[in-house]
Amino acid sequence: MKPAPDEAATAGKLRQQIAAQFGRSLHIRTLDTGSCAACEQEIRLLAAPHYDLHRLGFFFTPAPRHADLLLVTGPMVRAFEVAARKAYEAMPGPKVVVATGACALGGVYQADPFVHGQVGAVLPVDVWIPGCPPSPLALLHGLGVAVSRLAEKTPGLTFIAADESPGDGP
Amino acid sequence: MNPLDLLYGAGGAWLAAALAGLLAGSRRPGLLACCALSALGGAVAAAGGGWSLIYGNTPVVTPGGAAQTITGGPLQLQATSLAGVFVAVLGIVAVAIAWYAPRYHQPGRGTAVYLAAFNLALLACLAVLAAGGMVAFLVAWESMTLACYLLILRHPRSADSARGAFWFLALSEIGFLLVVAAFVILSAKTHATQLDAIAARAHLVSPGWRAAAFLLALAGFGFKAGLVPLHVWLPEAHPVAPADGSAFLSGMVVKLGAYGIALFAFRLDPVGGAWPGLVTMGAGAVTAAIGILYAMRERDIKRFLAYSTIENTGIIVTAFGAAMIFHAYRQPALYAFLLIAGLYHVANHGCYKTLLFLEAGVTEHAAGTRDMDRLGGLVHRLPRSAVITFVGTLGIAALPPLNGFVSEWLIFQGLFQGFRTGSHLIAILIVLAAATLGLTGGLAIYAFVRGFGIPYLGMPRTRLAAAAREDGQPVAGPGLLAVACVALAVGAPVVLAALSRAARTVTGVSLGPLLLPGRLTVLPAHADFSAFSPTYLAVFLVAACAVPALIYLAGRPRAASVSVPVWDGGMVSFKPRMQYSAMTFSAPTRVTFDALYRPAVSVRRASDDDPAGRSGPVHYEAQVTPVFERYLYRPVIRAVEWLADAVRPLQSGDVNLYLLYVFAVILLAYLLGAV
Amino acid sequence: MPLWFARGLRRGVVTTRYPASPDGSAASLPTPPAFRPRQLSRQVVDRMVAECPGRALSRRDDLLIFDAGACTTCGRCARVAPDAVTSSGEFELTATARSALVKTIPILGEGQ
Repeated sequence: MKPAPDEAATAGKLRQQIAAQFGRSLHIRTLDTGSCAACEQEIRLLAAPHYDLHRLGFFFTPAPRHADLLLVTGPMVRAFEVAARKAYEAMPGPKVVVATGACALGGVYQADPFVHGQVGAVLPVDVWIPGCPPSPLALLHGLGVAVSRLAEKTPGLTFIAADESPGDGP
Repeated sequence: MNPLDLLYGAGGAWLAAALAGLLAGSRRPGLLACCALSALGGAVAAAGGGWSLIYGNTPVVTPGGAAQTITGGPLQLQATSLAGVFVAVLGIVAVAIAWYAPRYHQPGRGTAVYLAAFNLALLACLAVLAAGGMVAFLVAWESMTLACYLLILRHPRSADSARGAFWFLALSEIGFLLVVAAFVILSAKTHATQLDAIAARAHLVSPGWRAAAFLLALAGFGFKAGLVPLHVWLPEAHPVAPADGSAFLSGMVVKLGAYGIALFAFRLDPVGGAWPGLVTMGAGAVTAAIGILYAMRERDIKRFLAYSTIENTGIIVTAFGAAMIFHAYRQPALYAFLLIAGLYHVANHGCYKTLLFLEAGVTEHAAGTRDMDRLGGLVHRLPRSAVITFVGTLGIAALPPLNGFVSEWLIFQGLFQGFRTGSHLIAILIVLAAATLGLTGGLAIYAFVRGFGIPYLGMPRTRLAAAAREDGQPVAGPGLLAVACVALAVGAPVVLAALSRAARTVTGVSLGPLLLPGRLTVLPAHADFSAFSPTYLAVFLVAACAVPALIYLAGRPRAASVSVPVWDGGMVSFKPRMQYSAMTFSAPTRVTFDALYRPAVSVRRASDDDPAGRSGPVHYEAQVTPVFERYLYRPVIRAVEWLADAVRPLQSGDVNLYLLYVFAVILLAYLLGAV
Repeated sequence: MPLWFARGLRRGVVTTRYPASPDGSAASLPTPPAFRPRQLSRQVVDRMVAECPGRALSRRDDLLIFDAGACTTCGRCARVAPDAVTSSGEFELTATARSALVKTIPILGEGQ
């Protein structure tokens, strides 16, 4: 599934639509395409009292038919490709695909006969959440960006330390 | 001109059809001619039956001459109202099967004999229904049995076929003996052979003899109707007969058993006191429950339908029994009402059971098997058959708005009014019967969801089922019966008006406004109990489905919609073996009614034989204990064999011993003559 | 049950108010590295690239290509070059374009 040529334009329109429809209530379907389950443990903590994603209007649902957002972890093993496609196609539009975790972003495995290496090889990903695993706070931030409630910070980040000499901790 | 003339016409047409079949059935034009004559006879018979419902009893006719020399006694014919429903059903069934037969049978020698036997069976059934005297009835009854034996024995070289036909013949003959005994008792005590005369003088006979005659008749006709435990021939004979033969057996011949019971209960021998009605009602209720419980265990479609026939016979006999009870407790309105309800159920069952058997034949022909567990997905491959079967299934499961619902509603409303008898005990017993029928109705829906869902819906379980195609299967015959089912439901007021005229002739009770106050409403024989309008219900149900559909179609959003497969959990491939099978679907009833089925279960695991305990295939086998064969029939058969063995020394083959017998008998005759 | 309820009421609300206000636990989270360009030399960068178990670090001429999306925050690059690498403290790394996670850091240090 290759991205469309004017991806930016369609993505922008989609985000407006998503902000209008999902800003206050979002149903999330998680999809594990072969991860080590560390990401799943962090995702599970989202429903725990400390992080409590329900207060933001987000809910987990097992049925793709009821889901608005597909939260994908794992490097997309080839054996799971058919199921992932079926889950994506079973979701009614408009829908968002969020890939989370270093594996899903293509940082850990290279494509080989058993694994695609990144979720983007099979599904059209809209939002990427890095981390290994991403903390629940990072996930909350990522979900907020996905429904356009929060602004993303990455374009502004440089990963260049402000101080030039060692010894001064951040 | 009276209905009997129409019945003559029908009989003549069927006789001609039998001759045509026998002489020319080996070739296609002869086959078509035979079926055309059969259909003509059926149409005339249906008209005659309907007319005789309204007309009343015709005078008895005694055709003299040759007929008398054959039977050695007066052969009396009469078209009665009570038989009118049965004649009408006979006619419709004959027409449907006549339209079905050309596309089902191949022309040939066997088909020729079969069609001749079939038309002779139709003629014999008509003669039973038109019999005005005892001799005519018995002669016609036995002829019908013999003709049906030939029907079942279509493939004489198959062992199963011979076995099924033998069970039918043996049990029919036992029943015939009991019926003869019953008739002889009544005839001897009333000194008459005409049925009208017997009916007129029956009250003069002592109660003991009347009770004996009724019980003999109940048992004798019960063999034919399929009352438990006399039903054993039904599941043996139906699978081996050709589809239209089975349809005829279930649709008509079993009804003749019910006709015999009705004849004795309402016309010839209305016994005083409630106990005959209680016995009849109890037998009917038990039959209904046991019939449907055994149906839940069957994988063979025809055996399943045969047990369902037993269930419906139970319902009809329950209605008749309750009518007798109300008659004994001086509730004439309910007496006539339950008679009407029972006759209505006879008509309905004749239509939809025939339809289902004919469609079972189509399925067997298209998919090559009758086993539900080897079928599946036929709704896509045989769409027309599926629609027709669905109408029949809705009817037999007694779902509104079809005809099964109407007749079962009538029977239930009659049973619920048991409190009007005034006796607490009787009321409780009637409520028990109603509860049993309620259980039966629920199980029937369950059974027929299985009976329609497993073969028709889902994915095909074998390659044969996947290869089934619509190529020239008969549609007109079953389609006519489906139309009849709908007509009997929507036109219920018309049917009930005709049946109440017939009930007036039989029972002398006129229901009139207690049954049909307006044009479309039906009351259960009392104005303040409940009310029901089949026509409005049908219209309402259709509208309730159609109106939301129309609103949706008119107002749905303009956005493009995408068609995607059903969400199956993301499985890569969905295999047919992942579906329900017929036996797992009915597993809850099997477990609940374990005590009735007494299954003999054997489980063999591959890990049992392996020294290391590695797992492998598991072999599971469960067999229903044939309770009636083992505990009732086998002891009787063994007793008869023992008796025969005990008597065998008489036939030693020694000439001297035979001479001694001769001498002893002559001596005895001499002595008796001298005394 | 009432005891549990009472105990909970006494403890107060434990739910975080994030994202409305910052969460205290964010300070102890492992985060991707931030680099000091003047401490980087080609040698140092090549050692860091060899040490990275994933595919987050690579070198092109005088540029260090850092893919924040591929970083597993294992800390091996910091162990190899403690002067050049420090923790960035950034955990809100979500991006709507994959390319936005790939950052370029100039190599300004002396050395081979």
